[in-house]
Amino acid sequence: MLRVEHLTKVYDTGTVALKDVSFTVEDGEFLIIIGLSGSGKSTLLRSINRLIEPTEGRIVWNDIDITALDEAGLRRVRREIGFVFQEFNLVERLPVLTNVLAGRLGYVNPWWSLFYYFPPQDQRRALDALAQVGLAEKAHNRASALSGGQKQRVGIARALVQNPKMLLADEPVASLDPVLAHSIMGYLERLNQERGITILCSLHYLDLVQRYATRVIGLRDGRLVYEGTGEDIRNMTDEEFKQIYGEEAQRLGG
Amino acid sequence: MNAKRAFYAFLSLLVPGLGQMAAGAVARGIYILLGTATLWGLTVFTAAQRARFPEQVYGLSFAVLTRLFLAALVTLAVLRLVYEAVARRLFPTDDEFARRVANVLFVVVAVVVFSLSGPMMLQWAVPPGASRSLYTTVLLIMAVVLAGIWWWAVLDAWALAEAKARAEPSPSWNGFIALVLVGTLVLGTRIVGIDLPKAIREYKETGRILGDIVWPWRAAFDYEATELRATALVQAPCPEGETGPPVNEPKEGEPWVVVTPTCGDLSVRDTKGKLQYGTLLHIRGGGFVPGKVVKIKWENPIGNEFTPRGLGPTEIEVGPDGTFESELYIPDVVIPSFAEGPQIHKLHAVQPGALRFTGKLSREMKLALQAMLESIMIGLMATFAGMLFAIPMSFLAARNLTHSLRTSPQGLVGGVFGLVLGGALGWLLARQVAAWLGGLDKAPVTVALVGFVLVLGGAVLGFRLLGAALDRLSRRLPGWANAAIRYGGFALIGAALGWPLGLGYAHGILGIAWDPAEVAAAAPDFARLGAGLGALAWLYLAYRWGDQGVVPIGHWIYTATRTVLNVVRSIEPLIWGLVGVIWVGLGPFAGFIALTIHTIAALGKLYSEAIESIHPGPIEAIQSTGANRLQTIMFAVLPQVLPHFTAFSLYRWDINVRMSTVIGLVGGGGIGFLLIQWIRQVQYEHAGLAVWLIAITVSTLDFVSATIRKRIV
Ligand SMILES: Nc1ncnc2c1ncn2[C@@H]1O[C@H](COP(=O)(O)OP(=O)(O)OP(=O)(O)O)[C@@H](O)[C@H]1O
Ligand SMILES: [Mg+2]
Repeated sequence: MLRVEHLTKVYDTGTVALKDVSFTVEDGEFLIIIGLSGSGKSTLLRSINRLIEPTEGRIVWNDIDITALDEAGLRRVRREIGFVFQEFNLVERLPVLTNVLAGRLGYVNPWWSLFYYFPPQDQRRALDALAQVGLAEKAHNRASALSGGQKQRVGIARALVQNPKMLLADEPVASLDPVLAHSIMGYLERLNQERGITILCSLHYLDLVQRYATRVIGLRDGRLVYEGTGEDIRNMTDEEFKQIYGEEAQRLGG
Repeated sequence: MNAKRAFYAFLSLLVPGLGQMAAGAVARGIYILLGTATLWGLTVFTAAQRARFPEQVYGLSFAVLTRLFLAALVTLAVLRLVYEAVARRLFPTDDEFARRVANVLFVVVAVVVFSLSGPMMLQWAVPPGASRSLYTTVLLIMAVVLAGIWWWAVLDAWALAEAKARAEPSPSWNGFIALVLVGTLVLGTRIVGIDLPKAIREYKETGRILGDIVWPWRAAFDYEATELRATALVQAPCPEGETGPPVNEPKEGEPWVVVTPTCGDLSVRDTKGKLQYGTLLHIRGGGFVPGKVVKIKWENPIGNEFTPRGLGPTEIEVGPDGTFESELYIPDVVIPSFAEGPQIHKLHAVQPGALRFTGKLSREMKLALQAMLESIMIGLMATFAGMLFAIPMSFLAARNLTHSLRTSPQGLVGGVFGLVLGGALGWLLARQVAAWLGGLDKAPVTVALVGFVLVLGGAVLGFRLLGAALDRLSRRLPGWANAAIRYGGFALIGAALGWPLGLGYAHGILGIAWDPAEVAAAAPDFARLGAGLGALAWLYLAYRWGDQGVVPIGHWIYTATRTVLNVVRSIEPLIWGLVGVIWVGLGPFAGFIALTIHTIAALGKLYSEAIESIHPGPIEAIQSTGANRLQTIMFAVLPQVLPHFTAFSLYRWDINVRMSTVIGLVGGGGIGFLLIQWIRQVQYEHAGLAVWLIAITVSTLDFVSATIRKRIV
């Protein structure tokens, strides 16, 4: 169970990106975060594994206070939380396989890994993960040679080999076309249903939210302004949706 | 209104700029005043600069300049009045183009007038006898320029007042800027010593040398030359009663030359450079190949052979019977001062024969090739060694990697104590290991390396372990305990930093060997004062950080590394070369050290900038898998910067080879060493070989490295 308590983030520039945000996520949920551009979705997701240091508040996950961890402790928690980025964030010059293997960095012997050596069972695991996202034959290509959708699948495979208990996805489909968006969301749903991985995902499109969410929270100017179940949001009309989301809201199908 | 304008103009006539200030344009006035004053000062200084007793000449040149200036001022005023009168009548005042033409004409007329009246003005202004030591022409030009500026300031004050009254924009600066520029350029040519007439007069000598340097290739190979040669001895000078060496006899079957008399006086060049002929020699020779030329050469007592010029024919055609006849004055030979009195000179009659190409490189060419290779290797090795140090330094000098390194003040206290403790432990261990290895003299490299690694490793490890431990501990401690750690720890750190500073200061004054205990005994006050001041400063820091509790160590490291890199980089390799020569003596090793030091700084900066420009996304991605710092660098940073690192290193190699060709000038080995030697020995042809090799190597490398770089990035 993930508990976010009174989370506040003030950037060095003085921008208040999150204001006293509190909510809980049960294990196995597919939580979708909605909100306008600039409402603080990325800041929230990045605070959870402390890619961004929260200014105030606590994040407690399975009784571990992530906000109080030292570096070593933080690394141990991070390796169990996958992160999927809107911009994929692959290391373009490295082969696809190495990008996926990077997901094992928190587990393997750090000294060996400095020479790009990974034990055979990790390599097998990485190839398996690539096969699961349908990219086994691209393992030895450079990451820069992939299309956007393929890159995002590699990103998911990288998160997968972490053997995560929780997956954070920051607008994972925002730079992909509708068909690809559904296929990527489909992968996430399978992970959620088959492996019971808790998923926190920020999204822009109403129909995707309605299709995949088991719970939804809405942010506006850094404040939590909406909480509802998947059921609630499926019964919602476009007009209601636009009320929390603003005029930019749209459906993927158009 | 007109009276007011005239008043401003008059003020500017008294002191240029004063009128402008009075009219309300204070900044403009100050610029004019400063510009004029600077130009005055520079002129006086330049005029006096090369004199033997400058302090006397300053006053003199100031007086001369003032007189010339007054003359120019009056002349300009008269010219201006005439111009106004004439131009009014000839050119319509409302036509912009006509006004410009008139202005140009005015300048032309002024230049003509000043060049004509210049000598008269100088006559009047320069006291007799002083003219040589003063740059009178420059003074004249500068006086005219200064007078021009003065008048410009007067007219400007007038125009400015008018513009202000009508709320128009201020008149343009163009005239002032043009005049100051002319003045500065004129002074500049003087200060730099640009002397075109001299350059033209003396180009011939250079031409010969340049020829040798531009096409030196005949010196690159060995030849076998056959020649017919006959020699006669001549004594000079010839004191009363002496007859000199015996006269040669013609010989059968081989070349001969007979010179009479064999004793005579040298030609002499008098103080004006005119030649006073010495004794005339009669030359007869035979046994040479008919129809071909015989060359006459002179060899002085210390063995230098040359062709005498302007003293008689030096190329004589041999008659059909193989004989020739000619005459020659004994040349003007500069005799070394240690060899006074009569000396034996030689006259050679030489007939060039066949020349054969052996295909072998000459000794000098081989030397030059060897030295070139040495240079390339110095450059290569310096690049590699530089990279080795620059890579870790560049990580410390990259803002995006270091800025996240922060700690609490308590963590800093723990860290510093850990640093000292770890360093000390490393030192003790290193001493143990050194003793076991047999001391610094027996195995210097191993001992130094082990010591370096142990001390640095101990310090870093201590810093991290104790820092993290205290940081964690401080979270569980109550506020008063944290405050105690902070204030106590900081006071200790400050004292520990201040103590050696105080001692170092005292040590500098005392001039005794550096032994902390001894210095502390000799100057206890300094040690105490240093420690006290240090502790105070750090107590203040503890107070400052108290509540906020974030110490940006990353930023400190970044700033310190950057500063060191910038300072080292701004000192030229040639100067590092001097350091290297003092350190390890003449030779390529000194050059290598110099280039390595500069390369570390230059590459460190380039690398760190490459690191700062990478995409932050992959770093976040790798961090969120639970990777540690080193893993993040290897997986997210290195792959992104590697191509840039390679490109920069290649570029640096190319620079280093270029540098290594000159590092020899200060004794750093390589081809520069050879080049400067040959230039000093007046062997321009060989120097030319070196120059050519450098040019070929550098441009080849330039091309190669550019091509590879294009492919990588
Ligand atoms: N590194 C930063 N430094 C300063 N301010 C930032 C930084 N990152 C984000 N912000 C600000 O914080 C606020 C929240 O940004 P955030 O990226 O969390 O929004 P978002 O909901 O993810 O938007 P989007 O949908 O466009 O990705 C914005 O006002 C943004 O300008
Ligand atoms: Mg975002």
